[in-house]
Amino acid sequence: MRVIIADDSMLFREGLARVLQDAGFEVAGQASNVSELDALLVREKASLVILDIRMPPTQTDEGLIAAKRIRRNHHEMGVLLLSQYVESHHAMELLGESSERVGYLLKDRVADLGEFLDAVRRVGSGGSAVDPLVVSRLLGQKRTRDRLEELTDRERTVLALMAEGRSNDAIASALKISPKTLEAHIGTIYSKLGLEPAASDHRRVLAVLDYLRSS
Amino acid sequence: MTTLQRRVIQGTALVVVALACFAAVLYVAIEPGRITWLLALPGGTGALVDHYVYFPLRSWTEVLVEIAPGAAFAFAGLIAWSVRPRNRVGLLMMGVGVGFLIGGAGPHSSSAFSETLSQIARPWGEIALLVFGAVSVAMLIHLLLAFPGGRLISASDRALVRSFYVAIPLATLLGGNGRYVPLEALGMSGALNPTLFGYANALPNVLYLACLVVGSALVIRRWILGGRAKRRSLSPVFWSLLPIVFAFLPWTLMSVAGLIWSKPKGLPVVLAPLSASVDLSPLLLVALPIGFLVGLLRAGLDMSSVGDLVVRLSSGLTPDQLRPALAHALQDPSLEVVYWLPTLGWFADFEGQRVELPGPDSERAVSILGDPAAPVAALVYDSSLVHEGQLLDTAAAAVNMALANARLQVQLRAQLEEVRQSRVRLVEAADSERQRVERDLHDGAQQQLVTLLLSMQVAKSEALRHRDRGVANLIDANIASLKEALDELRELARGIHPTILTQAGLCPAIRSLAERCPIPVEVRDDLGDVRLAPPLEAALYFVGAEAITNAVKYSNGHRISVSIGRGSGFATIEVSDDGVGGADLSRGSGLRGLTDRVAAVGGRLIVDSDRPGGTTVHAEVPCV
Repeated sequence: MRVIIADDSMLFREGLARVLQDAGFEVAGQASNVSELDALLVREKASLVILDIRMPPTQTDEGLIAAKRIRRNHHEMGVLLLSQYVESHHAMELLGESSERVGYLLKDRVADLGEFLDAVRRVGSGGSAVDPLVVSRLLGQKRTRDRLEELTDRERTVLALMAEGRSNDAIASALKISPKTLEAHIGTIYSKLGLEPAASDHRRVLAVLDYLRSS
Repeated sequence: MTTLQRRVIQGTALVVVALACFAAVLYVAIEPGRITWLLALPGGTGALVDHYVYFPLRSWTEVLVEIAPGAAFAFAGLIAWSVRPRNRVGLLMMGVGVGFLIGGAGPHSSSAFSETLSQIARPWGEIALLVFGAVSVAMLIHLLLAFPGGRLISASDRALVRSFYVAIPLATLLGGNGRYVPLEALGMSGALNPTLFGYANALPNVLYLACLVVGSALVIRRWILGGRAKRRSLSPVFWSLLPIVFAFLPWTLMSVAGLIWSKPKGLPVVLAPLSASVDLSPLLLVALPIGFLVGLLRAGLDMSSVGDLVVRLSSGLTPDQLRPALAHALQDPSLEVVYWLPTLGWFADFEGQRVELPGPDSERAVSILGDPAAPVAALVYDSSLVHEGQLLDTAAAAVNMALANARLQVQLRAQLEEVRQSRVRLVEAADSERQRVERDLHDGAQQQLVTLLLSMQVAKSEALRHRDRGVANLIDANIASLKEALDELRELARGIHPTILTQAGLCPAIRSLAERCPIPVEVRDDLGDVRLAPPLEAALYFVGAEAITNAVKYSNGHRISVSIGRGSGFATIEVSDDGVGGADLSRGSGLRGLTDRVAAVGGRLIVDSDRPGGTTVHAEVPCV
């Protein structure tokens, strides 16, 4: 899988490239700002861009704007946005209409290399990865009339993993339960929350996040 | 000696006497006295006699029509000069009058003086007469533009007047049927090139038309733009100019139109409209100097208005009534009073706002009141009042005490304004410092720690490759504590300045707070994607954050509701809880500091905390 890295810190880019190469990815190019990234996108074929939200010149949200543009213009390309802070507002803005080929992670996630590389693979192959901190914050948010309280602890865990963009297989193996049991859980969650069952693993991310943000 | 020669000598003697009388009067008028103008009568008599003596057969009416405009200008000018010796309007009017009397008569006139002058060194005598007449027309334009102050204020006015002084005499000479300018030598003889010859002859008429149009237009413009003080003095000129325009405009227009539409064939010599007419229309010109004189006298103000001012002062005049009272007394509604602030070293208006005094080239004039080294105040007024120095001084002296009082108020206001602005600067400086620190943390420590995380991952995989489980575990432990450090650093940076506020605005930032809050927070937001100015967003955000924190810590409530709204000209945030209430701004809390922060951007903070019923914190800031 060919990956492009965009971050204004050279040390971070090099470190990330090294880690990705060790894990078998091919780094197609590195960019230190958005215009270099745009040039790389024209020149190189890649299936994934990993980019930082804050980049020169204003160091505010150049990366987010670039990520949304890439998602609009390069439908076949995955976009993984990294940030020192994660906000559900930015997650929803990045996802927009679809939760395919998109990821939004705290930069620190590189510390759990296995998890991080799994997220990179998921986004690169059409899935999604939403930072657990975003999901846990939304799940943990106190509400006045809370349907989430009807969920069991196990169901909450399943819901969180679904919102992070994990597939049924991944959830089942992470929780060490059979796929059948998992599907039963998911069915209960949907009916308790009043959600329509989604067609695929990654499409349900948007529906679940929407539910969590609006309730 | 022929009869003609004798008469020429007699007439010349008379004119010399008349001019000498006139000069004597001018000399006396330099030291002005109200009666000096009476001495000018012999001058006028001389001129009248001069014209009458030479052609005894002419009727009095004809002679009167010929000299009346010039005489009227000269006498009205003399009166104006003796009444307003520092104003050049009087001198200009006299110049116009003398020019009309001497030159306006022209080579076809019937005055002994002009006949004599024409005889001397032909054609130079005639040329001198023509130029005199033409210059007096230019001087009339000068007068119109300089009235009533006597000075040409704008550079464009000065340029216009200069060009008329040059163009009108030149055109008059060109128009003399080739008598004064050798047109034939230039290939413009009437026989060879009648069209060009005709044009040259009609040139003076075109210029006179231009004078008429430009002069009237400028007077009308000044009348429209001028304040009430200026209109008072301009309107007599305006009304006396009107019949002249109506009398001469059709005549001049017709002669110009005749030139354009019919092929001119040696057009008859058309002289200045001011002298060529034989009908009574030149008498209309007599109205003009009277208009100027009346206007000039109206520009002058009488002391009675200052008397009114003193009466009003004795009945107690508050500082804010001072300016209107002075404006009324000096009859200039545009009058401003500006106060000198010794501590700040500049002038300020009544609101305490800094004011720059107008420069010397402005339509506004300035009088400094009090000792120039340490002034109390200054009056800024229409320059048409500039010759009313004594009146201004009297008025200023009358209000001196009141001015000193008013200055104290203004000084206080200006200092308050300074303090307010300094508070704004302090808040802005603190905000930008917070942002800078957050950015430094983000780009420095946080970025380095994240990069270190990556390096440790690389080190860990190296260790694992060398099957060194012990080192790998050690590195894992370090990674774990590094992650904790990063989390703490992130919370610290977030408290200093939340990046989402700058990135996405007030509502997402407040919603982000709500997501983390341990009790339910309901956010209602009418602002949507609208962004406010950064200082306003920061003020409202920190109010919201502090109020939510307080509600969580002290209210014992079960829910918080936040509403963010926008009305016309202001934005608001309101945070209420259903807790025990009892929050008090005056007791030292974080809200106290926020009151200052909100006030710094011109807003206000209200805390309503009746027990029971919870606490409501409401902040509103003005925004466009």
